[in-house]
Amino acid sequence: MSQSRRTFLKVLGAGAAAAFSSGPIARALADTGNSKEFFILIHQAGGWDVTLWSDPRNSRKGGYIGDPATTLDIDPTKITGWQNQPLDGGADETFQLLQKGNYLLGPAMGSLADMFDRFTLINGLAMNTVSHPDGTYFSSTGRHLAGGRPVAASIDTMLANELVSQQNFLPSVSVNFPSTFIGNNLDASVSPLRVTDVTAVAKSLARTTLYDSDQDRANVTTLLDKESKELAQDAYYPQVPQAFDLQVGRMPQILSDDIRGLFDANKLKAAHPSFFYAGQQYQKTGGLNAAFAVEAIRKQVARVVSFQMTSCDTHNTNYKFHPQIIQETFEMIASLIREMDNTTFVGSNDKLSDHVHILVVSEFCRTPQINLSGGRDHYPNNSALIVSPRIKANTVFGASDPQQLLPVEQKGVFSDGDRAPSPADVLATFMGAFKIDPRKYMRDGEVIKALLR
Amino acid sequence: MRLAKPIRLVVVVRHRRRQTRTLAIGLAIIAAGAFAIAQSACSSVDELSGVPVSSIPGHGDLGLDNTPKDGPRMVPPEAYIRTYLHLFGGLSPMAAQKALRANDQSAVFDTWNDYLSSLGMPDYRVDIPRATQTNTLMLATFERLGIALCDRSIEHDLQAGTPIGQRLVFDFDPGTGSADLGAFASRFDVVHRTFLGYPAALGPTDRVSDFFDLYTKTVAAHKATGAPASRLTSDQAGWATVCYGLVRHPEFQFY
Repeated sequence: MSQSRRTFLKVLGAGAAAAFSSGPIARALADTGNSKEFFILIHQAGGWDVTLWSDPRNSRKGGYIGDPATTLDIDPTKITGWQNQPLDGGADETFQLLQKGNYLLGPAMGSLADMFDRFTLINGLAMNTVSHPDGTYFSSTGRHLAGGRPVAASIDTMLANELVSQQNFLPSVSVNFPSTFIGNNLDASVSPLRVTDVTAVAKSLARTTLYDSDQDRANVTTLLDKESKELAQDAYYPQVPQAFDLQVGRMPQILSDDIRGLFDANKLKAAHPSFFYAGQQYQKTGGLNAAFAVEAIRKQVARVVSFQMTSCDTHNTNYKFHPQIIQETFEMIASLIREMDNTTFVGSNDKLSDHVHILVVSEFCRTPQINLSGGRDHYPNNSALIVSPRIKANTVFGASDPQQLLPVEQKGVFSDGDRAPSPADVLATFMGAFKIDPRKYMRDGEVIKALLR
Repeated sequence: MRLAKPIRLVVVVRHRRRQTRTLAIGLAIIAAGAFAIAQSACSSVDELSGVPVSSIPGHGDLGLDNTPKDGPRMVPPEAYIRTYLHLFGGLSPMAAQKALRANDQSAVFDTWNDYLSSLGMPDYRVDIPRATQTNTLMLATFERLGIALCDRSIEHDLQAGTPIGQRLVFDFDPGTGSADLGAFASRFDVVHRTFLGYPAALGPTDRVSDFFDLYTKTVAAHKATGAPASRLTSDQAGWATVCYGLVRHPEFQFY
């Protein structure tokens, strides 16, 4: 199995591939002989306001320097968790904290708040940046940009590189997620398939039958299969026609109605209506991506599906809608969990949610203070959310300080001394849950053992 | 104090004249020396004769390093698109798009924008980098585009009665669909040269016969009773599949 998998990896990815010249990557599967673990990675673009969900602030008492959200700044009418409460006994109306399990949550988590025993929060992440691109790639790679460019592999690539199997002929699908393919020990086959819109793929897979038939095209594919095998016998780099041969061999699968349906917006909406609901304004595309993720993973076509949610970058009066934007994101995650709870994992009696692990990140949070335009700017603190059977749920790790909403040092956790957690630690912990050594890919980051089950 | 300045100037001028004279004499001596050396060098070169490298001790079995110094890399999608446009009559991308869509409800082509990301083009608006290797989706896109090229070329070349010499791809008399390998081979050679750049006779020995099998199989399928309706005659459908095979051929994609 190991040998055939390596052969598979060697030829799957590339018709070209500088990676081929570095030879096959001999590595064992980190988790099990044939991993059953799959991943959905979500980037909430724009920088979310953690005071509205993971790290809520609804009072200036205790020396808090910020302006808690009030009905003067936001529109609470569609915020399901919003219950009015006078701000420090004054005339302004802020929100009540939600006590859910071990969490004190803000109002913008929607029905996900009720699933407190399914998710994990990491607060007080030290971002050391307020730049969108820098924060974005720091969250997905654990490294800041250098010269404006990412310098390390992203989490989706690392996971796919470790856990891809033969069924996953699209190992990593990235829909506007900050994916990178950087590093010496990566297999060409797991280079993320990066697309701007998952339904755009459908047009590449469409075929008309006005001129020819499926059988005509299948006959051509059979002929090309033979031609590429012959070429491989004479080629200086036989891996190239071999890769072509393998990919041509996959054509009937990718052109099957089953796989085409994965990229068909109407079919996805019909199969997963819970991702689309009345009043949904901002995250319809995210719902489509989530529906794709469930289907692609259920069919084991993809090992990792990653995508981006519509931006919540709200510097002016559009902050009014910030809680709704992120609430729709969390509603989508709640729907994801419910959908996967109701879906059987192929070949077992397990639920899909037993094997799918979700990581949700953003580039930073927003300033405690409301600015002169009525919005909030960028602030170098952050939170992350994980839904994984491998990581302790109903648990908060890390914190921000009461006055300034800045990351607080964690005592006795990290081997390099007392410090606040960083995105690199989140990524390392996420990989550590699957027995993947983060040091194989990452310069920074340490597994937070207290979070592992 | 006022008298001192002119006196100093005179002294300085005389000193510089002496320096200039000395410099001129020095340069003349150097030039003469260089000329003499050059003369002797020229005469030495004339006396030298080349020797084979292998005759130099220790160089008898010196090999020539002709190994590739760079690994294979993917042909950029720009090259594919440029070639595609060239094959389709040298049109601009937008003109080709218009011709491929043709507004005839055939749905053989959408827009270039719909295929760019699947072809591996970067999208710097959203920081998507260039793809560095092919994947199955990319091959499926090649098929989609190749079918559009072949079907539209059939319509242009064979159905519209375009004179030979002005055709895009099928620049030959297609014949009547008779199962004659010899007649097929000469026509196949035309499209083989168009797509793969060399005579079919120089390809693998069974290539012509394999494509002939594909052709006859398609013709038979389209002639069969109950065959699905097609905008192509059976013979045209045969040539269309031959065209699909060449435009999707690994040699076309790789080189």
